[in-house]
Amino acid sequence: MLEGAEFYFNVDHGYLEGLVRGCKASLLTQQDYINLVQCETLEDVKIHLQTTDYGNFLANQTNPLTVSKIDTEMRKKLCREFEYFRNHSLEPLSTFFTYMTCSYMIDNVILLMNGALQKKSVKEILVKCHPLGRFTEMEAVNIAETPSDLFNAVLVETPLAPFFQDCMSENTLDELNIELLRNKLYKSYLEAFYKFCKNHGDVTAEIMCPILEFEADRRAFIITLNSFGTELSKDDRETLYPTCGKLYPEGLRLLAQAEDFDQMRRVADHYGVYKPLFEAVGDGSGGKTLEDVFYEREVQMNVLAFNRQFHYGVFYAYTKLKEQEMRNIVWIAECISQRHRTKINSYIPIL
Amino acid sequence: MGAPAFQRTLTLAVLSTPSSGAPSAHHSTPQRTLPCGIQGSLELRGPLHLLSPVLSLLGLAKSHLPKEEVKVQRGTMGSMFRSEEVVLVQLFLPTSAAYTCVSQLGELGLVEFRDLNASVSAFQRRFVGDVRRCEELEKTFLFLQEEVRRAGQVLSRPEGRLPAPPPRDLLRIQEETDRLAQELRDVRGNQQSLQVQLHQLRLHAAVLGQGHSPPLAAAHADGPSERIPLLQPPGGPHQDLRVNFVAGAVEPSKAAALERLLWRACRGFLIASFRETEQQLEDPVTGEPSTWMTFLISYWGEQIGQKIRKITDCFHCHIFPYAEHEEGRLAALQQVQQQSHELQEVLGETERFLSQVLARVQQLLPPWQVQIRKMKAVYLALNQCSVSATHKCLIAEGWCAARDLPTLQQALQDSSSEAGVSAVVHRIPCRDMPPTLIRTNCFTASFQGIVDAYGVGRYQEVNPAPYTIITFPFLFAVMFGDVGHGLLMFLFALAMVLTENQPAVKSAQNEIWQTFFSGRYLLLLMGLFSVYTGFIYNECFSRATAIFSSGWSVAAMATQSDWSDAFLAQHPLLALDPNVSGVFLGPYPFGIDPIWSLAVNHLSFLNSFKMKMSVILGVTHMTFGVVLGVFNHVHFGQWHRLLLETLPELVFLLGLFGYLVFLIVYKWLQDYAARAASAPSILIHFINMFLFSHSPTNQPLFHGQEAVQSALVILALVMVPVLLLGTPLFLHWRHRSRSQRGPAGRQPDEDKSGILDSSDASVAGWGPDEEKAGCPEDGEEAEFVLSEVLMHQAIHTIEFCLGCISNTASYLRLWALSLAHAQLSEVLWAMVMRSGLGLGRKLGVAAVALVPIFAAFAVLTVAILLVMEGLSAFLHALRLHWVEFQNKFYSGTGYKLSPFTFASEEG
Repeated sequence: MLEGAEFYFNVDHGYLEGLVRGCKASLLTQQDYINLVQCETLEDVKIHLQTTDYGNFLANQTNPLTVSKIDTEMRKKLCREFEYFRNHSLEPLSTFFTYMTCSYMIDNVILLMNGALQKKSVKEILVKCHPLGRFTEMEAVNIAETPSDLFNAVLVETPLAPFFQDCMSENTLDELNIELLRNKLYKSYLEAFYKFCKNHGDVTAEIMCPILEFEADRRAFIITLNSFGTELSKDDRETLYPTCGKLYPEGLRLLAQAEDFDQMRRVADHYGVYKPLFEAVGDGSGGKTLEDVFYEREVQMNVLAFNRQFHYGVFYAYTKLKEQEMRNIVWIAECISQRHRTKINSYIPIL
Repeated sequence: MGAPAFQRTLTLAVLSTPSSGAPSAHHSTPQRTLPCGIQGSLELRGPLHLLSPVLSLLGLAKSHLPKEEVKVQRGTMGSMFRSEEVVLVQLFLPTSAAYTCVSQLGELGLVEFRDLNASVSAFQRRFVGDVRRCEELEKTFLFLQEEVRRAGQVLSRPEGRLPAPPPRDLLRIQEETDRLAQELRDVRGNQQSLQVQLHQLRLHAAVLGQGHSPPLAAAHADGPSERIPLLQPPGGPHQDLRVNFVAGAVEPSKAAALERLLWRACRGFLIASFRETEQQLEDPVTGEPSTWMTFLISYWGEQIGQKIRKITDCFHCHIFPYAEHEEGRLAALQQVQQQSHELQEVLGETERFLSQVLARVQQLLPPWQVQIRKMKAVYLALNQCSVSATHKCLIAEGWCAARDLPTLQQALQDSSSEAGVSAVVHRIPCRDMPPTLIRTNCFTASFQGIVDAYGVGRYQEVNPAPYTIITFPFLFAVMFGDVGHGLLMFLFALAMVLTENQPAVKSAQNEIWQTFFSGRYLLLLMGLFSVYTGFIYNECFSRATAIFSSGWSVAAMATQSDWSDAFLAQHPLLALDPNVSGVFLGPYPFGIDPIWSLAVNHLSFLNSFKMKMSVILGVTHMTFGVVLGVFNHVHFGQWHRLLLETLPELVFLLGLFGYLVFLIVYKWLQDYAARAASAPSILIHFINMFLFSHSPTNQPLFHGQEAVQSALVILALVMVPVLLLGTPLFLHWRHRSRSQRGPAGRQPDEDKSGILDSSDASVAGWGPDEEKAGCPEDGEEAEFVLSEVLMHQAIHTIEFCLGCISNTASYLRLWALSLAHAQLSEVLWAMVMRSGLGLGRKLGVAAVALVPIFAAFAVLTVAILLVMEGLSAFLHALRLHWVEFQNKFYSGTGYKLSPFTFASEEG
């Protein structure tokens, strides 16, 4: 894009940006969370959510209310908003939206393949799929037996197709291979998204690149953590790391050699950004998990994205914040329904 | 609010016709005419009916009424002058009767409840269970409503008064609703499943009847290699290579994707042919007609078959059995058609039953909806009450007009009589500022609206609305002065006023129309005043009218000064000299002399007149505003402000700008015709007044002018420090003397004023002094900070003194806008009508051409001069009221009394 994009940003995207900022203002406040935590039953949660911008989104649900119903309805609501944005968007924002949906599509594809592997019916799994990542050919993934099959028959026309470049293999799809496939897909997806934002330049790049770098590094850490004690070889592990993060290249090489959490922590110590995060992680009992710390950092970055104007990052940030909010509500609702109140306060506050 | 006042005024109209009557007749007449709000107005629709709101406002015909009613009348007057007395009341509602009491209050709309449980969250309140039940019920209602809407029917609005049902009825309504909903769900479910079946059958028929006969023909599209097996007749030597078929239907939007996926997944081991159905089929879920794509896939081999089935599954295709032979297909088709025919009959039966159920819903639902809405509102109000220690009664607090207290008491007694224990209401003292209540009728509402749009008045503050009724249309008219335009506006408003009771007019939904309609009385007065100012300016569509004979005589001038033919030929412009006797006969009786419209110096004459007029109007208007402040100070008991603020302000304003007005009027009264060259200039005089100087070329207007001027300026300047320091020092002194008396001495009288006589003390409590001292909460307790008060007063002083100058200048917009209006209409006339009228001497040509020309003139007059200019004049009149007039006395920091009422539930 040309320099000084702010001069004509509003011509194409001003309406949507205004809209998304309005939506962001409707996120639950600290006070709302305090009230939610005090609820005794899910009905109370529903009543309280009615006073917020969620409105009576649960009005048509038949009793009894369950957490999964709340979750589904919240997802539907987010999806409606997102679809509205997407339907009103112009290029290159619509491409940006497509990139955003890709991660959900990858998750859905993997979910369906896993389901097929465990001989579950497609309908059962479809309910679990994220509505943002829906596409027509999705249900047909179970006819494929190898990744290249999958690519050639099913996914060649979807936006996911370009990410398959690196993972065409004739391996049969067993559980490990599916997991590898997911990570490889994700890797190339992140790299492509990063490249897109970088090429777009301007404020969008300034906002989105750090977010995506963080996302890439987080994946690298999580992959490392999850691969301890599995048969995944270190070389294989390294091929899964997305290379668009701050850890690339030295950090990733060190991570690939890590053998336990302490070694991982030592790698993170080399990076000013990640050192405090790892320091915040509690040791086993109590304290925060690494996941929570990463979530908090993500929320922080997404909230900061709203401080700049004339960029696409707000849409990404809003979706992520809304997702975090949904996770929080689900967490609180789960705690309430399972009468497990001691942990109810460990949701991730959205600043 | 409007209704009672309206009825009263009708009574008044009836009463005023007989000149005198026996008192008994007076009493009986109102009772008879009271319900005549609608029927009575038909008889009385006349000028009296139009004026009746005005009459009631002005309190005319007061003397005709018996004494009790006069009192009420005065109350109304007072309530327009300043907001009514509103008191905080505490209601003790016995638990058993609380519901009926509150529902009765909702019908009456008297009390604004205060939330006594603000710290309790919504789901921990006492009646949350009942609210939830109401909500459940509303959810069911919503379902029923949606079903009725889907059936293409509308719910009628409920008729008659529907009180909130007693709580025990809730169960009955709930049961019946649930039964209805269940019945409806069952029937709907049946209907839907039947429709789905029917849809399936139709699709099947379409697939069979589509005659995808040519698996062979379709093969032409593919390469020759595939054609070879196809050419083998089915059932031939290659039994194992038999061609199998999958037939079905798919939504058209997915067809292309399906076809591609099939091709990619099976690598051409199949032939698929897609076709659109000829007829549109109704979708069983949405009910919308749509076409479908039928397809026939022929393939070889079982594996491929499984794959195809999986793929078609994932595209949600309908798959039907497909016989291989033509005869089999025909037989199947016949069977399917037979089935669908039977199914249609069953479906018709179901739909008849469904419409019966819906008819019942239509009948029952609307009253229930209103009732349950009311019930929910009652419970929400009850949720704001606190529970007494003994759990025997609920305690509610709320604001209520003091005038309505007896009604409130009566209502509570009536509705709690069943319970045995009567509900009690009593006033309680309060330090919060009560809400503002100003009752309006259909006439005053729009004017009150203008004031409220700026800010709702502080409690018991002087209300500018009554004066706005006259000044607003007048200032508007000064800018809009034209008889023709004013008349058009007046007639438009009159039409709205005359048809205001017609339901079609009343219920019009158009927002722009509603704006005009709600301001119809405003428009009426604006039009009327514009006619008046139009006569003053002597302009009707920019043309002058000569009602009286002109005060100037050209004939006299011609005979006196011997205008010869040669002189006339040389001089295109001729001057009329008033010094020549017989030329100026005296002023025109009313408004501007029409001869000025012929004059070249018309504009400069009018400019001088309008500019001076604007200043006079402005200074008068502002002075009036300052004087209104007196009522505020007297009412709030702040006598010191009378002396230390209002007086200096008046002296400053009148000493400088009042003097200017005096100069203008004085000069108007002098006849300078004889010594026109040496006539004094007011502008120079006024400038010199501030400079304490004297210009020799400018003659004084009257003897001793300089001395008077100097005295006035010095007086005005002396007033500035008084205004600046007076109030703060006085407050400081009062505070000091109070604190010297000590807290012990202060306690009793504070008690007396603060608690026993709550109304007065509370009134005194919200004076701006306390606000200025930065302690609105508790005047006595908080620290008196001199610097803060000084700061506030300094701001006020600067604002007032500078404001006097800038506001006076601001009133010049009256001149500017009226000039603009006059010039625009002049231009329109000259450019359109005059050119049209001078078009041709021949009668025929002019007549034909004038039709479109007049049309253009009319359209432009309405669009530009009436609508556009009207809006701009309205805007400026609004500004003059809000900024220049109201800032002299009106703070507008109050909030409206919004009583608990069912008005929205009934709608």
